[in-house]
Amino acid sequence: MIFLYIGLPLAVAAVLPLVGKASKRVLPDILANAALAGLLVYAATGARALLAQGPIVQQVRWLGEAVNIRIALDGFSLFMLMAIQLVSLCVGLYSINYMEHYGAKANYYALLLVMVAGMNGLVLSQDLFSVYIFLEVAAVASYALVAYGLGAEELEASFKYLMLSVVASAAVLTAIAILYGMTGALGFDGVAAGLRLLEANTVTGVAAALFLMGFGLKAALIPFHAWLPDAHPSAPAPISAILSGLLIKVSGVYAIARIFYHVLGLTPALSQILMWLGAVSIVVAAFLALGQSDMKRMLAYSSISQVGYVVLGIGIGTPLGVAGGLFHLLNHALAKGLLFLTSGSVQQATGTRNLDEMGGLAKRMPWTAGTNLIGALSISGVPPLGGFWSKLIIIIALIQSGEAALAVIAVLASVLTLWYYLIMQRKAFFGKLAERWVKVKEAPFWMTAASVLLALLVIGVGLWFATVFSTWIQPAADSLAKGF
Amino acid sequence: MIMNEWVIYLLFAAGMFFLGLYCLLTMRNLIKLFIGIEIIGKGVSLILLSTGWARRSIFLAQSLVVTYIVIEVSLVAVALAVIINLYRTNQSLDIRSLTRLKG
Amino acid sequence: MTFQIILLVAMLAASAFAILAKDLLKAAVALAVSSLILGIIFFRMGAPYAGVFEISVVAGLITVLFMLTIALTKQGDDVRESKTVKIIFPLFFIVFALIDLFVMRGILARIPALEGAAEAGTFGEVLWKERSFDLIGQLAIILAGVLSVLALFRKRDRHDHE
Repeated sequence: MIFLYIGLPLAVAAVLPLVGKASKRVLPDILANAALAGLLVYAATGARALLAQGPIVQQVRWLGEAVNIRIALDGFSLFMLMAIQLVSLCVGLYSINYMEHYGAKANYYALLLVMVAGMNGLVLSQDLFSVYIFLEVAAVASYALVAYGLGAEELEASFKYLMLSVVASAAVLTAIAILYGMTGALGFDGVAAGLRLLEANTVTGVAAALFLMGFGLKAALIPFHAWLPDAHPSAPAPISAILSGLLIKVSGVYAIARIFYHVLGLTPALSQILMWLGAVSIVVAAFLALGQSDMKRMLAYSSISQVGYVVLGIGIGTPLGVAGGLFHLLNHALAKGLLFLTSGSVQQATGTRNLDEMGGLAKRMPWTAGTNLIGALSISGVPPLGGFWSKLIIIIALIQSGEAALAVIAVLASVLTLWYYLIMQRKAFFGKLAERWVKVKEAPFWMTAASVLLALLVIGVGLWFATVFSTWIQPAADSLAKGF
Repeated sequence: MIMNEWVIYLLFAAGMFFLGLYCLLTMRNLIKLFIGIEIIGKGVSLILLSTGWARRSIFLAQSLVVTYIVIEVSLVAVALAVIINLYRTNQSLDIRSLTRLKG
Repeated sequence: MTFQIILLVAMLAASAFAILAKDLLKAAVALAVSSLILGIIFFRMGAPYAGVFEISVVAGLITVLFMLTIALTKQGDDVRESKTVKIIFPLFFIVFALIDLFVMRGILARIPALEGAAEAGTFGEVLWKERSFDLIGQLAIILAGVLSVLALFRKRDRHDHE
């Protein structure tokens, strides 16, 4: 029952506020995390078996009648589902401790589950308009979650995020209307077939540009990134983790990849545009990250930069390039989620996000420092962690396609990434233990546990990258490549 | 397809987009900015419906528009909640007072 | 068709007034009028359900929410908008309108389209049977909206994060 991915989180979310009234702490936590864990197990085991028989299209039946809910699961969506459930579960576990003093935890978990349901629904949709609807579901939940702390900074960030997103939605819907107007269909296959018959390149180009504007804003590609450096730092740490780790990729990169490969078809022109957009994001964001003293803001710019790598990989168009891009998507989701969670631990312990005020925290918070280091090394592309392999694959794919300039840019930017992460490590964790932090304690149990879990995953993906690559990434890349 | 008339609707929908964007770019009062969002929403509804109408599938068009309006209501509710909270925190509806985040 | 064009122009005018008006209440009413006109346009295109939804929800419900917000933020409406912006507006609008007309003229022959099959069934059938997935989405987004409002208006005990 693939529909469970959408139905279960929504059902639990609907029930949670009531449960929250009865039991303020224990029951909502258990319920929410159990739901996420269940979905994860399902993705890891059951769904894989189903997939062995080829892409599944499920026709849901309600009360005996065949209702037209056609959701399809192929390699790409299954891969995304796995990533979503993995990071969401860790975020859910982390929130057990972190959201204690924000109040109304049951409500928070409900919103989190709605966002997960929205992301799952987006990934399972086979229809342009459904993609839009679930995009909005996840987005509306995220506006409230960004503003959750109700402080001035968060509200401001949420409002700006909201305003920009509305413009993005309008762009996406206009593009959908254009495609519908031409082909009379809304489903991926219908539109793709219609476009092939019509061969209307200019109008398709206009639609592609609008999609890039809309989804590019969701993915925070430069120049559509303005909302992210404000929204991600101000949100509560677990929400920053899920926004940076998942939402920008699911509602941005996944949508672009799906639509450009399965619906529009990746022309050489589109490929070049995607690659250069990715490259610009990588470089500009890396430079912007360098000058930051706010820990979470640096991480936010780093997200923009790494998403650039993913888009670069996907834009190459060759199977290897796409696989590299998707592998980096997974690595970044795990590592960036980890980094934001540990930054939240630091923020909770010290009360500040300013790197210049921190120092030597590794002595008092060893677990947090260690896991943070692992995340940072992975993203910077240090072997044998995951990020190294995914960046290597992307660079190889670039060289194979003859894009030497982009390959050089990718390598240099990677060095830049390592540099600013080392700065963060040095300022926050290593060095002399500042006077005021002598009394800080390590983060509470669930926060540390979630960080450790993600760190183990990061290490595991790095060490066993070959297996991960062949079982998860390769089928995803294949189903994406053969789509058109 | 009812081409000529469809283009007229597109023309006016583009006009709505222009108005909405102009409002978002130039206005300072938070509630005025919200009006800009609403106007863009009307433009979108118009485009969706007129495209469906031009293809003679008026029912499908209406389904899309109805769904879109429901999404818009949810969005409005959240946006207004954020605005009211902003007012309570800053005692002002001026967007120029939202300058905490920079860089 | 000419009457539709008159209605469309009226809708644009009402929206423009909503943007430029100084008094927020007048702006709200103008927005409601604009929605009303859009609803009538929908009716005349043969889309009664969309028209009803537009009028009752956008011109009705959203305007009420809007008025509520204005009432709750009463002291904030002394935000002085830039006067230049309002004077420049007609200029920009005319430039835009010219570009718009020009582009649309060009489009007239250019967008190819496939012939579609005639639509079968009634509105209800299309909404419930063909777009049922959208209904789940609607449920989800309503849930998201309700939860968000509950979260944003919750009773605040002093939270001690940064």
